[in-house]
Amino acid sequence: MTRLDSALRATRHQKQWFADLRAEVAAGAPLALVNADAPQEIFRAMGIPYVVNQWWASIITAKRLGEDHLRRLRAHGYPDDSEQYNALPLGDVLEPDPTSAPWGGLPRPTIVLAETTGDASRKVFDIWGEQPGTTFYALESAAENAVPERWWELMPHRWEEAIGSDRLDLLVGELEGLIRFLETTTGRVFSETRFREVMDLVNEQEEWNRRTRDLIAAARPCPLEVTDGIPSVMVPQWHRGTRWGVEAAKAFHDEVAARVAAGTGVGVDERARLMFIGRGLWFDLDFYRRFQESHGAVFVWSMYLAIAADGYLRYGDDPLRALAARFACFSDQLYTPPWSVEWYVKEARHHGIDGVVHLVSDDPRGGFFTTRGLEAAGFPVLELRADNVDARTADPDALDRRVAEWLDDVVLPRAAARR
Amino acid sequence: MGALDELTALAADRTAAAREWAAAGRPVAGYVGADVPVEVLTAAGFLPVRLTGDPDAPSDPGDRYLGRGLDPVARSVLTRLLDGAYGRLDALVVSHDCEASLRLFYAVRELHRTDPGIGLPPAHLVDVLHLPHRTTTRYVLAKIRQLRAQVERWSGAAVTDDALATAVATHDRVRALLERVAALRRSRPARLTGTQALAVVAATTALPPDRAAELLEALLAEADALPEHGGTRVFLTGSSHDHPAVYAALEGAGLLVVGEDHDWGDLLHHRRVDPPADPALLELALAERYQHNGPAAAAASIRQRAAHTAAAAAACGAEALVSYVRVHDDAPRWDFPAQRATTGLPAVLVDHQPYGRVDLDALAGLRPRGAAA
Repeated sequence: MTRLDSALRATRHQKQWFADLRAEVAAGAPLALVNADAPQEIFRAMGIPYVVNQWWASIITAKRLGEDHLRRLRAHGYPDDSEQYNALPLGDVLEPDPTSAPWGGLPRPTIVLAETTGDASRKVFDIWGEQPGTTFYALESAAENAVPERWWELMPHRWEEAIGSDRLDLLVGELEGLIRFLETTTGRVFSETRFREVMDLVNEQEEWNRRTRDLIAAARPCPLEVTDGIPSVMVPQWHRGTRWGVEAAKAFHDEVAARVAAGTGVGVDERARLMFIGRGLWFDLDFYRRFQESHGAVFVWSMYLAIAADGYLRYGDDPLRALAARFACFSDQLYTPPWSVEWYVKEARHHGIDGVVHLVSDDPRGGFFTTRGLEAAGFPVLELRADNVDARTADPDALDRRVAEWLDDVVLPRAAARR
Repeated sequence: MGALDELTALAADRTAAAREWAAAGRPVAGYVGADVPVEVLTAAGFLPVRLTGDPDAPSDPGDRYLGRGLDPVARSVLTRLLDGAYGRLDALVVSHDCEASLRLFYAVRELHRTDPGIGLPPAHLVDVLHLPHRTTTRYVLAKIRQLRAQVERWSGAAVTDDALATAVATHDRVRALLERVAALRRSRPARLTGTQALAVVAATTALPPDRAAELLEALLAEADALPEHGGTRVFLTGSSHDHPAVYAALEGAGLLVVGEDHDWGDLLHHRRVDPPADPALLELALAERYQHNGPAAAAASIRQRAAHTAAAAAACGAEALVSYVRVHDDAPRWDFPAQRATTGLPAVLVDHQPYGRVDLDALAGLRPRGAAA
């Protein structure tokens, strides 16, 4: 099938944007390196260019430079089998190699912003903070006893009730400190009216993503390949808070809507609808397409569009508190039972899923409750064990064989019986 | 029996005091992690018992619920909770001292929801965080108040300010005594081995604090009669040790662990609450003590860890630095290059170690000639 124009446009935009960013930084602008789940909207409002650490890691991996970057970490005494997703970009800092750096290379950031999730990820950012001219601004990663029911319904407006005031007070305080720090160190101004505009644009963009997610959930056949969906939603996601981001999300929606109206699928007889739970398999993106021809099995769901649809919308009169509410529980939404488990089940039902491929990395998040919750709701689940950016952790042939057998033995018979 | 023997026995049989306590009709609270403000539990009439894993027992149920990508200590603790290995627990308080503890709490919370007959005690997370900022202090204060309200619900009675002040004073006394005991292993010659010191600290986390203080005082009183110990003096960094097996193996191979920077050892007691005179500030003082305690590997920056390790290793008169890192305990490996550079001592990293085991071959360069492997 032909690729989505929105995916191609997103990739083109990203290259031009990165070239412009390099020029801007070369001319003296500050640069922020931010974690994916950190409140980037502050930088947007202040006009400080930023690069998302995990996006850059995905570029390194897609260029097949991941193993080389891990080798550079190892050469400096750091582990090469811990926090690979967060740590890859460090390879360039510890051992710069302009000849191999993708897209001309990442300029040296002046500030790094990340939450202290897990035991080791903050260490990665500590190392960034040791580099001359770079400051690491750390945010806490707080946790709560209470669990909201059906958080995806509460979040847009009733986020205070869903998240709890203590976590929001904490993050609001940290963001106020961040704003003062940036005002002081960059000389740039934080305008409340500009910030409100950014927050409005983000909500507008995510509303388009919500409509697109709902279109895809209802469409038969699935109108796009998930590998097109990921850049179509994620590149604009990294540009959220801009008019371009809103227009890109709308264009993505309109393109999907046109395909749905025309009954366009991915070019195969769709016999099974699959869900992929976990981070993107950046070292083997073809994985998502491999079972279309052979089995009529189409990945219709990945977390990227779905979390854009349900995880970001935050309305309210206090924009800084609303921004805190976007990120104070971000990892709960994706990785903490029962928040994540109930959401995956809801999404599987919404999309008419026939089977779930669940990527379980060798990390602390585990996958038991997610798998059990989906199975209890009637969805067959195949757990695959691999790291999403580290090709060394997976034997592609073995992965393919397991998926093929599972499709033949479990998913396709079940899907045929349901249709 | 001397105080050292008694403390060592209590470290091995960690439910002994809890059985007596419960037999008298008093509640026992199991807790996970050194970030649990035990003063609040003591003030509410609970006996706080810090939960340990067991490297010699299978951990299949814990592995099943938590996955095998998590520190095996947490998997073992969950297994033992499910097996009822801790005896009767009226409550479980889990801290966010590391990712494994947090995941353990989430699993317990979820099992309560999905398998209510599974027999786990009621659980509460106390989310003590550690960034050195005022915003974090305010948050930790809120979490201490939340814990206080929770134990009041559990016990059905208010935790009075007087009871909290008394509990703070008692636990601070234990910490001060542990500091004096730690000096016995730092002296030349050492009067305690690292293994013995580890057992003493562990015993105090399974005893009523006033009883712990009595035994520590008795140990200090008999200190001059304790035998002398030799060996290559090493400072141990890396993972924590809730079990003596690794210490025993290291010391059996001719090393003497004269200090460490994990919270089953020196990090547990080196900071006290030292409450201000105004009783209205007691909760705040507790919050600041727990926020700034450490620096533990999972919660501190590389720079904080390196500075602390270097200072502590020097204070112990260590001749070498050993970083022992358990499998799936990722933070210490990131700390090691800076710790090695900052201490300036001969240093060895032994990583990916199974729970309760150590590859002594990796330490060959540090061991005295002729020492047993």
